[in-house]
Amino acid sequence: MQKNNKIIHVLILMCTIFFSLMAYLTYFQLFTGKKMESNAFNRRQQLKEDDTKRGDIYDRNGVVLAESTNIKGKWQRKYPYGSLYSHVIGYNSEIYGRALIEQKYNSYLLDINELKSVMGISNSLLKGEKVGNNLYLTIDNKLQKLANELLGAKKGAVVAMNPKTGEILAMVSKPGFDPNNSALTEKWKELVDSEDSPFLPRAVQGLYAPGSTFKVAVAALALEQDMEDIVFDDKGIINIDGKNFSNSNKKAYGKLGLEKALVVSSNVAFSQIGVKLGEKNLRDMANRIGMEKSISFDIPLSKSVFPYESMEKTDMAAVAIGQGKMLVTPLHMAMLASSIGNNGVMMKPILVSRVVDAEGKELKKWNPEKLGNTFTADTTKKVKNMMVKVVKEGTGRSAAVKGITVAGKTGTAENEQTINGANKEHAWFIGFAPAENPQIAVAVIVEYSGGSGGTISAPIAGKIMKDYLDR
Amino acid sequence: MMKLLSLKRPVNMLVLANILAFGLLYYYKKPYDKMVLIEGLIVTGLICLSYFFIIKKNMGDGYLFLVVSMLSSLGVLMIYRLDQDRGFKQILWLVIGIGLFFMSYYLYGKVKIKDKLMFYYYAASIFLFMTTLVIGSSINGSRNWILIGGYSFQPSEIIKILFVLTIACYFKNSEQIIFNSKSVNLKWKLDNTKIISKIAFFLMVYSYIGFLVMQREWGTALLLFLIFFMVLYVFDNDIKLLLLNGAIAAIGGIGGYFFVHHIKIRVQMWLDPWADIAGKGYQITQSMFAISAGGFFGRGIGLGDPYLIPEVKTDFIFSAICEEMGVFGGIAVILLYFLLVYRGFKIALYIKDLFKKTVALGITLMFGFQTFIIIGGVIKLIPLTGITLPFISYGGSSLVSGFIALGILQALSKECYSGEEDVSDAEEQ
Amino acid sequence: MFEILSSLLKYLFVTVIYLFIYGVIRLIYLDIKSASGQKFEIKKNIPYLKLINIREQFDFKVEEIYMLGKDVDMGRSAKNKIIIRDPYMSTKHARFTYKDGKYFIEDLGSTNGTFINGRDVKGTAMPLKDGDKIRVGQVDFLFVHGG
Repeated sequence: MQKNNKIIHVLILMCTIFFSLMAYLTYFQLFTGKKMESNAFNRRQQLKEDDTKRGDIYDRNGVVLAESTNIKGKWQRKYPYGSLYSHVIGYNSEIYGRALIEQKYNSYLLDINELKSVMGISNSLLKGEKVGNNLYLTIDNKLQKLANELLGAKKGAVVAMNPKTGEILAMVSKPGFDPNNSALTEKWKELVDSEDSPFLPRAVQGLYAPGSTFKVAVAALALEQDMEDIVFDDKGIINIDGKNFSNSNKKAYGKLGLEKALVVSSNVAFSQIGVKLGEKNLRDMANRIGMEKSISFDIPLSKSVFPYESMEKTDMAAVAIGQGKMLVTPLHMAMLASSIGNNGVMMKPILVSRVVDAEGKELKKWNPEKLGNTFTADTTKKVKNMMVKVVKEGTGRSAAVKGITVAGKTGTAENEQTINGANKEHAWFIGFAPAENPQIAVAVIVEYSGGSGGTISAPIAGKIMKDYLDR
Repeated sequence: MMKLLSLKRPVNMLVLANILAFGLLYYYKKPYDKMVLIEGLIVTGLICLSYFFIIKKNMGDGYLFLVVSMLSSLGVLMIYRLDQDRGFKQILWLVIGIGLFFMSYYLYGKVKIKDKLMFYYYAASIFLFMTTLVIGSSINGSRNWILIGGYSFQPSEIIKILFVLTIACYFKNSEQIIFNSKSVNLKWKLDNTKIISKIAFFLMVYSYIGFLVMQREWGTALLLFLIFFMVLYVFDNDIKLLLLNGAIAAIGGIGGYFFVHHIKIRVQMWLDPWADIAGKGYQITQSMFAISAGGFFGRGIGLGDPYLIPEVKTDFIFSAICEEMGVFGGIAVILLYFLLVYRGFKIALYIKDLFKKTVALGITLMFGFQTFIIIGGVIKLIPLTGITLPFISYGGSSLVSGFIALGILQALSKECYSGEEDVSDAEEQ
Repeated sequence: MFEILSSLLKYLFVTVIYLFIYGVIRLIYLDIKSASGQKFEIKKNIPYLKLINIREQFDFKVEEIYMLGKDVDMGRSAKNKIIIRDPYMSTKHARFTYKDGKYFIEDLGSTNGTFINGRDVKGTAMPLKDGDKIRVGQVDFLFVHGG
C-alpha cells in the first residue's frame, strides 16, 4: 500500500530524530563536562565542597597554617597566622574564588579525583565522611615569621630556600592581607583599589631590575671566558658609547681585578666587562640561568625578562651591572644564588613537599629535581669565594654572622622612580651560608627603599641565615 | 517456576524496578516513610494486574501498557524524590489514569460513529478554548490553565486528542463534509468540492494552531502542526498542498522570530544561553549543568542537586533524570519512548480502515513528537518550548490525557491480534 | 546509609531498565521473526490455524500461524507435527484430518479437552468451518479456510 510506504518514511524520520537525541546527549556529556563544572553559576561544586572538610595545610614541621572548622554545619576556612601566608597559601573564598596554593591544590584538598567522579563514587562512601587531604609545605614557620618581622613595614620580598634541594624555607611578600573570609570580604574593595598592590605576590610575580646582584652571574661568565686576570683602572666613572656608567658616589677605586671589582661592586669595571663579553655570551648566560623561561612552580611564577632583540654596547654594559631592560623575580635571584652555592646546579623550587590523607597516609611526594646547570662547579667555587669576600670586606658586611661564613652580594638597583633623582632605589641582597656547605640561600629586596642593599637588605638576610643555622 | 522469574521477562524487570525505586524512596529521608511502601505496593500491584488483564483478555498489543508503566514508574520515582506531596499526587493521577485507560478502551469500542463526529470534536475544542479565554489563568506566561477549586487543569491536553480525531475524520471522507450523522454531498462541481472542503479543513486546523499561539502555547502549537503535516504527507497525494503548508509554517516560524518577542528570546537562548546566564538563559544553563554533572551513570537518585533547575518537576524532569541516573538513564528513557512510538507505527501500518489508521498514526506522532520536542529543548538540541514529557512530567492533565490516548491506541491495536475487524466498522467500508 | 544505597543502586537500577528494554525488544523480534517466516506460507485454499492470544503471555513457544496439511497431530510431544509445550496440553492432544473436502478435528483423549467455539469435542471428529474458534490447553486458535 502506498500509504504504508509513506508511513514507513515517517517512521524513519522518527528513528532519526530519536537517534539524534541520543547522539547529542552523548556528545554533550563527552565534550563539555569541564566547562560546565567550573562555571560560576553552577552551584554544584560549591554544594559538594560545603559538604567536604577541606584538608589542612601545615608547614614542614606540622604547624597548622590553614584549617577548616565546622561552624553551624558549614566548613569554614581559617588562617591562624593571618596575612603571614597570604602570598603563599592564598585564600579560599565563596565569593572571590581561590588563589595560589588553595587553588592549585584544590583537587587534593577536597579529594576530588577524576576517576572517582566518572564513576560517581565519593570518598565519603568508603570512609563515611567527606574529608579532603592535607598538605605539608616546605616552609619553616619560625623562619617565615622572622622574615616577616624583619621586613616590617617595608614593601618588598624575602625568599629563603635550601640550595641543595630547592625547598622554599620562607617566602614573604609585603604588603599582604588577611585571607580569612570575613576580613577578606570586608576589605576586598579597599585591597583591590590600593596603590600598594597588596594582592601582588612580590616574591614570585614582582619584576625588578636586579642591580649589582646580577654581577655574580656576570663574574661567573667572565671567569668562563678566561677573564680571571683582567685588570681595570677604575676612575669612578666611564663613558661607553655616549653613556656614563659610574660607581655609587662616583668613588674611584683605581686598579682592580675581577674579585675586587665584585667585592666593591664597581660599575665602571663591570660595564666594561659586559662590553668585552659581548652580546652572544651575555645572551647565552641569561638563557642558562633561566631568564625568559617558564619555570613550573606551585604558585604562578613570572618569567624573568631579558627583552633584547639586539644589543648595543650600552645595553651590554647596562646588563652587566644588572640594569637596562632586564627584570627578575626575587625567587629567581634566590635560585641563582642557590645554584652558585650548589656547585652550579640549579634546583627546581618546591613549596609543597607532600600530600597526606586524613589518616596520615602519604599520597604523593615531591622530590628535589634538577632544573639545569648554570655554571661549572669550578667557576662557581671561584665566584663563591669572591662572594665570601663581599661579606667579609666588601659591601655586604652587614650580612655577616658570627662563626659562620656567609657568601653574598648586595645590589642597589635604579628604577623608574630613581630617574627623577629621588632616593628610591631597590635594595637587594642575595647570598647563602655556610659557604663551604650551604644550607640556606636567601634573596631579599626592599622596594624603593632609598637605601643601599648593604644597609637595608643585607642585615635582614644575615639575621635570617643566623636564625636558621643556629638551630 | 524459574522461567517465570526469568530476567528476560520485561514485566519482571518492571516489578523489580518498582521494588528498587520504592524501596529507595523509603530510605530517602528520615524518618523513614512507611506510606511510600504502601503506595508502591498499590502502584506495582495495579500495574501488574492491569498488564495481566490486558494479556489474558486479549486486549491487543501487550507492549504499549508495559512500556508506559515503566515510564510512569520512573516519573513517580523522580517526582516523589523531588517533592513528597507532588509525588503522592502523581501516584493518585497515575491510578486515575490507568482507570481512564481502560475506560477509554471500552468506550472507544462502544462508540460506533466516531468518524462522523468531526464537528463535535471541533466544537468541543472551541468550547475548551473559549473557557480558557474567559475563565482561564496564566501560569508562567501561558494562558492555558483552568483552576477549579484548587485543582489546575490544562485543556490543551484534551484538545490534542480531539485534534487527532478531527483530522482523522477528514481523511476518512476526503470528498465529503459530514454534518451530524448525515452525509452532505457538496458535489455540484467535483473540483470545487474538493477545494472547498480542503480549505474548510485547513482553516479548521489552523484555527487550532492559532488558538494555541494566542495562548502562547508554542510547544503544543508546534506539536499539532507536525502531526498535521505528517498525516497530510501520508494520506494526501497532493505534493503541492504539502509544500504549501510547509511554506506557511516556515513563514509563520520566521515571522514569529522577528515579530514575537518571546519566540525571538527562545531562539536566542537556544543559540547562546551563556550570553544571559543569570536571566533568560537561566533555565537552560541550569539544565545543562545538571545533565553534565550526572556523567554516564548519574550521581545516584537523591544524591544530585536537581532542585537547582527551575521547573524541574515538569518541563525539566528529563534533566533531573540525567543528573541522577546519568546519560545511560536518559538514553534508556528515550529508548522506552521509541519503543512506544514503534509499536504505534506497527499498529498504524497494520490497520486497513482509513479513519482508524489515521487515529493510530496521529496518536503515535503525538507521543513521538511531544517527546522529541521537550527532550530536544532541555538538552539544547532545539529551542525550548513549554510542553510536558508524557507519563513522566508531573501533572494530572498530562497523565490523564496520555492514558486516554493510550487507551484509544490500545483499542486500535486489537485488530492486529485477533484478525477480526469490529463487525460494525467493517460495514462502513 | 541512603547514600551508599543510592550509589550502589544507580548501577543496578539502570541495568534493570535496560534489561526491561532488552526483554521487550527480544519479544518484538521474536514476533517479527515468526510473522515474516510465515508470510509466503499462506497459500490459498490451504487452511491454517491463527493464534488469537498474545504470544508473550505464554512461556512456551507458539507460532502465530500453523498450516494444516492432510493429517496433522498437535500436542506436547515432539512426535507431533504441531508441537506446543503448553503444560495444559497432553502429549498427544488433538488431530486435524481431511476427508471428503472437509477438515475435521478430534480430541486424542487429552486431559483438559479440546473445544470448538466453546463446545467440548468429545470422542468423535467434529467438522471445522472457516471462523471457528479452537481452544487447546491455554491456547486459542482461529481456524481459517479461505476456500
